Amino acid sequence: MDPMAAIKQTFFQECEELLTELESGLLKIEDGNDDPETVNAVFRAVHSIKGGAGAFGFDELVEFAHIFETALDLLRSAKLAPNPSVTKTFLRASDSLADFVRAARENGCVAGAHVKSITDELNALCSGAAKKDGTSPPKQQNIDDLDFQPVAVSLDSIFESTPEEPPPFTQDFLIRFMPKPALYAKANEALCLLRELGGLGEMSVECCVDEIPLLSELDPEGAYLSWSVHLRTSADEARVREIFEFVEWDCDLDIAAADVGRLLEEFQAALEPCAKLVSLAEQQKNNNQHMASATLAPSDEHDDNAGPVKVAHPSNENGAYPAQTTIRVDLNRVDRLINLVGELVINQAMLSQRVAEAGLPRASSVVIGLDELEQLTRDIQDSVMAIRAQPVKAVFQRMSRTVREIAAMTGKSVRLVTEGEGTEVDKTVVERLTDPLTHMIRNAVDHGIETPEARAAAGKAEEGSLRLSATHRSGRVVIEVADDGAGLNRGRIREIAVSRGLIPAEADLTDDEIDNLIFLPGFSTASTVSNISGRGVGMDVVKRAIQALGGRISIASNPGRGSTFSMSLPLTLAVLDGMVVTVADQTLVVPLTAVIETLQPKNANVHVLGDGARVIATRSSFIPLIDVGSVLFYRTEETDPTMQVALLVESESGARCALLVDAIQGQRQVVIKSLETNYGRVCGIAAATILGDGRVALILDVDAIVDRPRMDRADQTLVAAE
Amino acid sequence: MIDESKSDRYMRTLRLPDILDLRAASPLAANLLAIRGHQATIDASHVQRVGAQCVQVLLSARVTWAADSVSFVLSNPSEAFLEGVGTLGIPIAKFSEQELSR
Repeated sequence: MDPMAAIKQTFFQECEELLTELESGLLKIEDGNDDPETVNAVFRAVHSIKGGAGAFGFDELVEFAHIFETALDLLRSAKLAPNPSVTKTFLRASDSLADFVRAARENGCVAGAHVKSITDELNALCSGAAKKDGTSPPKQQNIDDLDFQPVAVSLDSIFESTPEEPPPFTQDFLIRFMPKPALYAKANEALCLLRELGGLGEMSVECCVDEIPLLSELDPEGAYLSWSVHLRTSADEARVREIFEFVEWDCDLDIAAADVGRLLEEFQAALEPCAKLVSLAEQQKNNNQHMASATLAPSDEHDDNAGPVKVAHPSNENGAYPAQTTIRVDLNRVDRLINLVGELVINQAMLSQRVAEAGLPRASSVVIGLDELEQLTRDIQDSVMAIRAQPVKAVFQRMSRTVREIAAMTGKSVRLVTEGEGTEVDKTVVERLTDPLTHMIRNAVDHGIETPEARAAAGKAEEGSLRLSATHRSGRVVIEVADDGAGLNRGRIREIAVSRGLIPAEADLTDDEIDNLIFLPGFSTASTVSNISGRGVGMDVVKRAIQALGGRISIASNPGRGSTFSMSLPLTLAVLDGMVVTVADQTLVVPLTAVIETLQPKNANVHVLGDGARVIATRSSFIPLIDVGSVLFYRTEETDPTMQVALLVESESGARCALLVDAIQGQRQVVIKSLETNYGRVCGIAAATILGDGRVALILDVDAIVDRPRMDRADQTLVAAE
Repeated sequence: MIDESKSDRYMRTLRLPDILDLRAASPLAANLLAIRGHQATIDASHVQRVGAQCVQVLLSARVTWAADSVSFVLSNPSEAFLEGVGTLGIPIAKFSEQELSR
């Protein structure tokens, strides 16, 4: 990648973070938390985006960010009260800013009308605040000056000399500029700033190199140089400051108007030590060719004549450059590491198997060593996975924009409540969650929540509530989208399913089964295709997306009270703890999270129902008994359950069942290899893995197996419909 | 880039890359550290663009070599290099203890 593209990429990554920060700050303000720290953070986020965008010449983005920033500054200076209408405007402006960032990244453009409307609103806020304040609206190009104390400028001497026509250079400025490491880290360059300053007039630059340490102690990406610039220019101070506009947070900057007399004095004073140094250098040069010249070097050891010239070290003592606590790492590198750790797990399993085959005793040092290796491998794997884990907050925050937009389009009033934003999931899961979640949120607002009038008529609050929550539950993450709307209209769903030929008219379905019809391909409850909920490709696409992530989706609906969609997703797509079992000479893996207990069926406990289905009695309840070998077509005849082992498993929906397998080999951590990617989807199988002996073993999709009876029935109904 | 053809047991020649921007600072520091202790000639003839961080690294090297009492020479600075350090307000003599062989 060329360096510029890499820097741009970093900029856009930062933009993502800043936009998240911006939105979360605005939401806090909306909730009444408008302490100066939050307001400043919001302002800084927009300011930083503007700064970076300016460096890359994204003019439209800069322009919009500038207007936004101008309005936010009024909030910061308490000239604008953060009332609900103001925060709503700011939230919409943050959405537009995100659009501008995206447009800049994709070389696209942002819809003009929308921009005009939000720009007008922001400008109206500014002029409104100014009117109230009794001042003229702030000039946008000078808004950044608000950060600085005004500096008295003495122009008397100059104007006295030529009162009618000012000379080309009318002002002298003394500029002290000390970049911080962050300035360079954000792809700014001191040289460019100085060059730009030089473009304003006549400039003399002095660079202070005193802070430069020895190479072994130098941080190549640190900032050790500082500059004193004398600038004679016809430009005013605002213009000079403008050059540093985008770096003002990342440097110490002092701009002062100077009269020439004082300047000359200072210059002469500054020259004195220089003259001394030069003479010292010459003296040294004569003394020894290889000895350090005294302009920079600590030469007291080598030259008695030279006074100790201090070489200052980076000021870690005073904490000016705190150590970085985070680093950016290319995702490919992390993925490569994860793959390698996956291979390590497989390799370690193979080694264990070889050792087991060699018949070494349990207490032998090799076996003990291998156990330790296994523990270590597991620790490494956990640590590597933790690198990829990310809170779902980023996705949740995007949803608040979706809710805002859809609510505005449908004329509904909806409040989004999020819970468990800190819940961490694998980055891939987080990323691929956005689309299905957006779709579900759209559906909930468009179809689930009623209009304010309908809600009022039903005795509910006019503002609908949408709850988005994430929790960890038994090794998986469960994400719920719950609305307090009207709930699913089962009569209508059934009607549509019948009219589309999805079920026969006389089909006898439970409420749960009717609800689940919305996940059938092509099903859409919208009478008209709207641009909100899409074109009727709704929930089946969502279901497929969740399934592709190794997850499951279920729905619970309560008429008049609302609906809850629950998605259960794996924390990681890379490994799982599995129980390795044998079924009809095949080795299969059952995810350990699904297994509650194992039992040996006895004849007395197994009962056959009328249609041939078998159940097993455990602790005063009957649980369906499913022969995995038959379900997966490994064998056609059912075997004697007393010769087998039953795994009591529980599906995501809470349904229990006993899976019959021939034998249990043991528990093992297995590396998941996607079947969809490498082969194709197989019903009843979640994925595959490679075992210690190098063979491929399939990982059971417990939920699919448990729900098998219902699937069979659905298949039958579908067949009947055909 | 260390030019072995021009190096003997005591002397090393380091050719500066064409672009001395902020991405070049860390590799430059590493390359310089690799030849620490040797007499060094830094060939700046190919430099097309200079950044402040690389200049910092070069100045630090200059200080380090001086502390080690080993010669450090910057040779053939390109126009771009001279213009860059000039704008940064750093006299070219600060990079070298000897007369520039330009």
